[in-house]
Amino acid sequence: MNAAFFFNIGHPTTVQTSLVALASFARFDPSGRYVATGRIDGSAAIWDLETRSAIRILDGHVKAVSSLDWSRHSRFVLTTSKDWNVIIWDLANRCIPAQRHSTLRFDAPVVSASFHPRNSQIILALLTTGEAFIVDQRKAHRSRVELCEMLDESDEEAGGSSARVRSAITIARFDPSGKHVYMGTTNGQILVFNTRTKTMVARYKITGAGALKGLEFTQNGRYLVSNSADRTLRQFTVPVHPIPAPDSQFIDQELEPMHRFNDPINKTAWHAMSYSPDGEWLAGGKPTESFCCFFDDSNGALDGGREPLMHLHWHPSKSAIASTTNHGNILIWHRPHPERWGAFAGGFEELDENVEYQEREDEFDIEDEADMIRRKMKEEEQEVDVDTVVVTKPRHGQLHGVVTEDEDLVWAEEDPDEDVEEWIMQPVMEEDWDS
Amino acid sequence: MSTTDVADGAMEVDAAPPGPHYAAALSLSGHTMALSSLKFSPDGSMLASSGADKLIKLWDAESGAVMRTLTGHTEGISDIAWSGDSEYLASASDDKTIRIWDVQVGTELKTLLGHTNFVFCLNYSPHSNLLVSGGFDETVRVWDVAKARSLKVLPAHSDPVTSVSFNHDGTLIVSCAMDGLIRIWDADSGQCLKTLVDDDNPICSHVRFTPNSKFLLASTQDSTIRLWNYQTSRCVKTYTGHTNRTYCIPACFTNTAGSKYVVSGSEDAKLYIWDLQTRQVVQCLEGHKDVVLAIATHPTKAIIASASMEKDPTIRIWRDESDPSMQ
Repeated sequence: MNAAFFFNIGHPTTVQTSLVALASFARFDPSGRYVATGRIDGSAAIWDLETRSAIRILDGHVKAVSSLDWSRHSRFVLTTSKDWNVIIWDLANRCIPAQRHSTLRFDAPVVSASFHPRNSQIILALLTTGEAFIVDQRKAHRSRVELCEMLDESDEEAGGSSARVRSAITIARFDPSGKHVYMGTTNGQILVFNTRTKTMVARYKITGAGALKGLEFTQNGRYLVSNSADRTLRQFTVPVHPIPAPDSQFIDQELEPMHRFNDPINKTAWHAMSYSPDGEWLAGGKPTESFCCFFDDSNGALDGGREPLMHLHWHPSKSAIASTTNHGNILIWHRPHPERWGAFAGGFEELDENVEYQEREDEFDIEDEADMIRRKMKEEEQEVDVDTVVVTKPRHGQLHGVVTEDEDLVWAEEDPDEDVEEWIMQPVMEEDWDS
Repeated sequence: MSTTDVADGAMEVDAAPPGPHYAAALSLSGHTMALSSLKFSPDGSMLASSGADKLIKLWDAESGAVMRTLTGHTEGISDIAWSGDSEYLASASDDKTIRIWDVQVGTELKTLLGHTNFVFCLNYSPHSNLLVSGGFDETVRVWDVAKARSLKVLPAHSDPVTSVSFNHDGTLIVSCAMDGLIRIWDADSGQCLKTLVDDDNPICSHVRFTPNSKFLLASTQDSTIRLWNYQTSRCVKTYTGHTNRTYCIPACFTNTAGSKYVVSGSEDAKLYIWDLQTRQVVQCLEGHKDVVLAIATHPTKAIIASASMEKDPTIRIWRDESDPSMQ
């Protein structure tokens, strides 16, 4: 799909587990250890993928759960609902039943909400009325600001004397750094707002797209995919936006996709899409059929049984996908490793293909026992490090469009939340859950 | 039950720095039969002990006072393990069950049934959602603790499993058995990834990952403790000097800053402390009157707890007051 990465984890191939969750969607947490599911009856659940059982039931909404999001270290979860509420849950609280951490109430059903990627006290919420808000719960910044599209002279000219109506927002997302909010509109535009200043920095027109239905970013923030009413997925390179100037100028242009993905024969709509962690793969899900499609140079499809697919989400670091069927079952897809039976025998190594054995010069020489012990002792004198854990992958790689000491990120990290990296979800032992 | 201060015990009295200067601090009595396992709680406040008398006792790690006695097992207990939050304790018994105890309340919460013979060893995963256990039915089992349900049964060995534990991030499980093999398993899939075997194939009685999970510390009944680089299947350090030919005696790392030591009990009723790097015995602690079978190191301080068999069913606490962590 793109040549920027050489490391390819491949796509999942088979179903590993199915969770009977009666859910309408499922999302992995940032560590990939858990999935959170939302249900039509208003409850949500946290599932431990190691034990494959529900470990927390979050009962707070009176109408269907419309979306949910995880904070960056998985301590907080927010759920949104058609009952006009956004509820934030603190998973460190082990009470039964689970107690809410806080509630945000709006004056219309909530379509979706998400945490700021750097601070869970900043929340982006979208209502069914097409309005989007940034709610800041930090003491020094406490506010609730609507993100309004700026209209310039050309809009006023086009609209004549009666001012042009602002287009309704259909989808709202933070970019992976949290610097900007990207919003899709009913008339095929992507609006970009600066999270700190809450001002519009760009407006992009996507020709022929119609109303936007979805927006997803790659983890590094370099690429963006949109789903729209014309049943096409479009992938874009994410433009870099400067810090907004006080003269309130914004970029107004067309955005040209790098790739378009659609189904030329059946013309079915895409229900969901999700990027692989390395951005090499994009999974798309169709409601009328029962499989996921994968794109790179070759397209592929996977058969997931008879139940139509409603939603899918790619694991944050592995080759695994959580897909949700219309019966409410969560299928966890993975890429199994073939079992190596040679591992059961000590000192054996299994080879994928034949290798001609190269005998070392001294391999079968008979060594003097004393020499051997001396050599072994010499070898053991080397210092060993038994404490330092080598972190193979930094949690936050270099994000697209982010500079060191970035003003916007410094702002977001002021008054940090309690979601620390060391936090560990502790099991609740008291009661047996009925799923 | 009594707690008495004992002054004797340390061999190196005229100790010159460097090196550890552990000295006997407390002797705790309460158990009536051989002790099998000692574990400090991860928060460092408590010490748990288990024994052949079917009892688990909780002691204050600082004062040595008995805090609680947990009863319920119908046969002797071989091993105990703390959950990461120091709230729960799991125990493995010859009655073929594993029990989970609420330490604050002192009640039994769950009984895990499934092993078909004595359960000999167990450990929590780093997130405390899983338990791994091994026993005389030659299997390694992975359990969902909250639901008291068996998740995996690995036909791991062809002899009783003597030790089993997770690595620091919970992705690997290591097991060892009386068949002399050390096996590493993928915790998620249950697949065997590697088997380590020594040339002479001695009975392997205890194995654990180093804190960074790059090496394995394995005790074998040829009176040797080895540090293995399991990626290259090479032994990088050998520790000898103690006696271990009959019992499953574990070895521990000390957890204080500064020099790192390896500690083990011995069948000559002593404790041996080696320097991790030089492999030299740097201290030898005397005081017990029987085989030192159980040993534990404090998670943050220079404290060692040890316990021995029938002839001397006491727990001894050894402290190195010269260590900066003790100030």
